[in-house]
Amino acid sequence: MNQQLVFERQVKPFFVGGLIRKILPYVLAIIASLAAAGLFIAAMGFDVWHAYVTILGTSFRTPNGFVQTLLKFVPLLLQALAFTVPLAAGKFNIGGEGQMIVGAIGATAIGILLKDLPAPVLLPLVILAGVGLGAFWGLIPGWLLYRYRVNEILSTVLLNFVSFQLLNYIATEVWADSAAGHPTTVPIAAAGQLPMLIGNPPLNAGIILALAVAAGIYIFTSRTVGGYELIATGANPRAAQVFGIDGRKLSLLALVLGGALAGLSGSIEIAGVQHRLIEGMQSNYLLLGIIIGLIAKGNNLAVPFVAFFIAVLEVGASAMQRTLMIPGEMVFIVEALVLLFVLLSDVIRRR
Amino acid sequence: MIFAKLVMLSIVPYVLAGQGTMLGGRTGLFNVAQEGIMLLGASVGFLGGYLTGNVWIGIALAVGVGGLAGLALAYFTTSLKMNQFVIGLAIFFFCVGLASLLYKVIIGVTLVPPLISTLPGIPVPGLSRIPLLGEIFFVQNWLVYFAIVLSAALYWLLYRTRLGLELRSVGENPKAADSLGVNTTRMRYVTAIIGGMLMALAGAYLPMVYTGTYTADMVKGRGWLAIALTFFGGWSPHLIFFGALFFAGIEVLAFRVQVGGRGIPYQFLLMLPYLATLLVMMFAFRRARVPAFLGQNYDREKRYQ
Repeated sequence: MNQQLVFERQVKPFFVGGLIRKILPYVLAIIASLAAAGLFIAAMGFDVWHAYVTILGTSFRTPNGFVQTLLKFVPLLLQALAFTVPLAAGKFNIGGEGQMIVGAIGATAIGILLKDLPAPVLLPLVILAGVGLGAFWGLIPGWLLYRYRVNEILSTVLLNFVSFQLLNYIATEVWADSAAGHPTTVPIAAAGQLPMLIGNPPLNAGIILALAVAAGIYIFTSRTVGGYELIATGANPRAAQVFGIDGRKLSLLALVLGGALAGLSGSIEIAGVQHRLIEGMQSNYLLLGIIIGLIAKGNNLAVPFVAFFIAVLEVGASAMQRTLMIPGEMVFIVEALVLLFVLLSDVIRRR
Repeated sequence: MIFAKLVMLSIVPYVLAGQGTMLGGRTGLFNVAQEGIMLLGASVGFLGGYLTGNVWIGIALAVGVGGLAGLALAYFTTSLKMNQFVIGLAIFFFCVGLASLLYKVIIGVTLVPPLISTLPGIPVPGLSRIPLLGEIFFVQNWLVYFAIVLSAALYWLLYRTRLGLELRSVGENPKAADSLGVNTTRMRYVTAIIGGMLMALAGAYLPMVYTGTYTADMVKGRGWLAIALTFFGGWSPHLIFFGALFFAGIEVLAFRVQVGGRGIPYQFLLMLPYLATLLVMMFAFRRARVPAFLGQNYDREKRYQ
């Protein structure tokens, strides 16, 4: 077959037919949910057009808006991957925020305790401490599942609540910054902070780390034996077992890996953005991460794009709340509706 | 004695949400949206009670939206055959967003939180005069009595009636139930709706008894703990009721020791309910009897092993 034919038969249909068919449901879902949200906004007596422009446009109008979006994008991307990697094995990791918090605690602890180390040593240690503690926080539910068959949805979610208290304890008792009015620790050493890519508006190097990890996860799940076994376990545990794949062990590993990813989002928040542990730093990244993972239908190639879209919505939502006084929760409904419509498009296609 | 009385007061959200979970699970429908439905119930219940000045309207509205959430779960999973956990999580988000949105739109941001009057204790005539026990069990708000009666009624329904047998059969072996003429779809819809109602009522209990107002973090994982409780209680109404005593006991204990202040940082006491639950789960999951078809959708045209 000559190259022309290969292109005509395989490449072109993939990009023209396949890509459009893949993206079309998303586009329709977004339009439908924005329309539904528009009805809500109009019913509350606000200017719908203005609201749309603010939600979708804030990220692209000013450099500051765009950097804000990228800063939101990093934790959202990692939180979404922390959900989709275990999901590939059929396990639901609802513990991303807990894993992020203990990761942030680990990063902060190293950044404060070893503050005299030089940057080339301290910075990797700060990042790895977050990854390590996050992985440990994923290991607990993984092990409970492996050894005692404890439902992972429960164990991951319950550990979130443990981590909230842990954070509060550390930020009020251990390294508390008495000048702050809110539970906050003293800052980590400058040598433990991520370098800046742009000084003003400030954008740290965490985004490069996150994108590299996302690419690594995509390659792992789609191009390696381990990733294949993971997906096989999730798709049909019995069949996978027949072919000699230890599904229980893989589920354990998937939860540990998910915890490590969420832990990394914690260390990037500390080393790159906050430079200190602050109560409430987990924001609502967990819920958004799960929404992103589900909208992307667990496809790790789609996750970064969906995460970016959600980051745009989130930045737009806070701008909308500031300037138009429309509650930012509105955008949460939009996101839930996008998810619903994307899921429904599957049902329609099946029929 | 005050401890026992507080425990009885605190079992209600666990019992209601736990029984709601159990009811759906017994037909194979695993609802994981408790946390969201409870928060929505708290928000709607509070707003209804605050705006009309009548708690009953608040409770009725909360129960109504809970029923709608259950209906949505049943429709997407039972009729459209979508993954129960995915839909459960989607409903969870939707409810969390809607709960805070409603509060913000109607009340807005205020310095002093608006309050509703909490449900009063109603002494049961005669029984409340029994020394000690009377004060603990029979001078409570009416939802405590409701939780007790509900648990007993569910036990009777599930294990002593034909309907209960049919209901349980749907969660164990829907193919067999279907072939014997049990309407599995209707059974799942009904249990999902009633389950959602109970969860929302459990949520409405929080502002109406504990705080008198709504805050976005008021459920504090009780919805997730209710799932744990349901496993702990082996998906049986009577064991769920007694299990709720344990969950409520730990909650009250953590709170009281915190107030008492014994040198242990209070944050570690507040972890107690979650850590204790994880520990208990290690043993509960090995022994627990779980409905065989839990979490799966039944399709008449499919084969099952």
